[in-house]
Amino acid sequence: MKKTGFAFVLYILMIISPIRNFIESIMIAHMLIQLPLLIFVGWLIGHFIVEKFHSLFNSWNINGVPGMIIVVFITMYWMIPRTLDEALTIGFMEVFKFTSLPVAGVILFDSWRRIGDLGKSFIFLNYLSMFGLMAWLYIDSPIQICNNYLTGQQRILGWGFLIITLAMALYTIQSVFTDHSEENVL
Amino acid sequence: MGCLEMTTIVDKGELKSRNSMIATYLVIGGAVIAVMMIFGVLMLLAQGGVLDLSPAAFYQFLTIHGTGMIGAAALAAVGLMWYFLRDYVELSKKVFTWNLILFLIALVMIIVGVFSFEYASAWTFLYPLPALSAGAWGIIGALLYLGGMLVLGTGFLLLYIDTGRAIIRKYGSLGKGLGWDVISGKKDVKDAPPATVIASTMVTIVNTTAIVAGAVVLIMNVINVINPAFTFDPLLAKNLTYAFGHIFANAIIYMGVIVVYEILPRYTNRKWAVNKSFLIAWTMSTAFTLVIYTHHMLMDSVMPKWMLIMGQALSYANGIPVLVVTAYGALMIVYKSGIKWDMASGLAFLSMFGWSVGVVPAIVDATIVVNHVMHNTKWVPGHFHMYMGLGAVVMLFAFMYYLAKVDSNLKPNGLDKLAFVCYTLAMISISAQFLVSGAISTPRRWATHFPEWMGPALFGAIAGVFLVIATSIFITHFIRYIIVRNKTGSDFYERKLA
Repeated sequence: MKKTGFAFVLYILMIISPIRNFIESIMIAHMLIQLPLLIFVGWLIGHFIVEKFHSLFNSWNINGVPGMIIVVFITMYWMIPRTLDEALTIGFMEVFKFTSLPVAGVILFDSWRRIGDLGKSFIFLNYLSMFGLMAWLYIDSPIQICNNYLTGQQRILGWGFLIITLAMALYTIQSVFTDHSEENVL
Repeated sequence: MGCLEMTTIVDKGELKSRNSMIATYLVIGGAVIAVMMIFGVLMLLAQGGVLDLSPAAFYQFLTIHGTGMIGAAALAAVGLMWYFLRDYVELSKKVFTWNLILFLIALVMIIVGVFSFEYASAWTFLYPLPALSAGAWGIIGALLYLGGMLVLGTGFLLLYIDTGRAIIRKYGSLGKGLGWDVISGKKDVKDAPPATVIASTMVTIVNTTAIVAGAVVLIMNVINVINPAFTFDPLLAKNLTYAFGHIFANAIIYMGVIVVYEILPRYTNRKWAVNKSFLIAWTMSTAFTLVIYTHHMLMDSVMPKWMLIMGQALSYANGIPVLVVTAYGALMIVYKSGIKWDMASGLAFLSMFGWSVGVVPAIVDATIVVNHVMHNTKWVPGHFHMYMGLGAVVMLFAFMYYLAKVDSNLKPNGLDKLAFVCYTLAMISISAQFLVSGAISTPRRWATHFPEWMGPALFGAIAGVFLVIATSIFITHFIRYIIVRNKTGSDFYERKLA
């Protein structure tokens, strides 16, 4: 319940116009702070929602794979540069962003517990390559990708993605090369 | 070696009746390899001036030949690795099945892309070629090919995640799977992981890295094909392409060699000794395989110099240690063992010869001063046809005969032995004609040859016909095994041992 309350406060804070406008005025903050925080909100309320609608989640997301596919599609959608632009210029797209990403967070919470080690590793590596791709795209693109952000901003975002990619790669390396003898799983 | 003798030396782990999926992997892999050989013969006939093949068709054949060969050999090699690795760690059959399903989907996508939509960039799909075909193919063909490669990579990625997880679960970490605790002296060498686990760990590490790198550059190409306004650094694209392609192709032999580690000890009743040199050699190969792809870029003068020097120096340090410890180990295990040669052991031993000699032209070409002259000639296909055709693929055929032997009562006949000789001579001839073509400066990947270049190509095409015949005999034997096995049931082991 505490988590749900925190999620509620966080969500309200992000909706408040000055905060929202400030975050969305900086491309890297929009993509790498606001969007993940909206997913995080969904993750935090996930426990509450999933408990409440336990049988509903069990009926369609028993092994977590359908849920993960939805999460991947929603997050991929919001990584497309054009969608960022549309969220800034079309009102209902902004509403869609503020609803779809928390929903993704809820589904992620439910799915992550269910998909097992193999699924987790696969999703993790999938995002690693996807973030690497986004880094390259935003750093190297010779054209302005978004109408609302200048090329300098998109390059900064690209470097942000690159740092995340490198961090994920380092995490993977330490994870597979440190001793898991005492554990039963990766 | 007779059946009765064989049954005395099979391990307990072999007493598994569910080899159907592995047989499916091998028969699909083998059949695709045979069909790809036919495309190879057709290309050589065209280059030899006796077959009127349009350049567009030639480059489509070139694309399917390279992609199909590597894909099919990797598929069969994974089947081989999985068969032996499951004796040491717990693997998921579901993932193994999914890899095959995704491979078949990818195969259909690639075939449709190449032959229905005339996609012909060669396997290298070197940016920006997929988008800049000068009208030779369109967006759909490129997307089908690139998408097919992504689907293929997805299947293999799932499989390597599974092998990695299984190795970590059993041994603690991938480092321990490579025997680092033994190298550092924390553990006694007698407790070192088996050779199969070491090789599988190495392949898991390098191929997971390769597939992740490949996914990035493939999707980047997809974006460029859909919207050519998005342009990217071609040098980075080339680096990622070869980081993917080189590693993935190279890893086939490291999966295939498991058959040598597994069957020669069973034939000779001796243990394959894993010692510190062996472990160090495999660790070196793991590290260096990841970085030596730069030897494909020695002609790219804009590459950082240190990377090119690294490409040369580490290419020497990469394959040779593992080759030496494996070849030496194979010789030692066979020496005065009283081994009775048959198709499986003979092919396994031949593969060691192929690997050893196939490395030589590679090392020559990885030398910068030579590379500047030879890299765009047929010298390079000379190297990899010898290395793959006489090394890696022979390991796969060795495994096919081994599996047929231990899992059924089928015996090879005189025709199989004839095919062995025929395959060996044909593959040596094909490799030699490529090397000779390289030596007389024949460019590679050219649909049309000057008359002066045609002789070796024609010779190679004739040898290729014999190669196709020999390969067909190998595969026919394996198909006969599947038929016999279906009739006798899948519990042959148990009945044989009872």
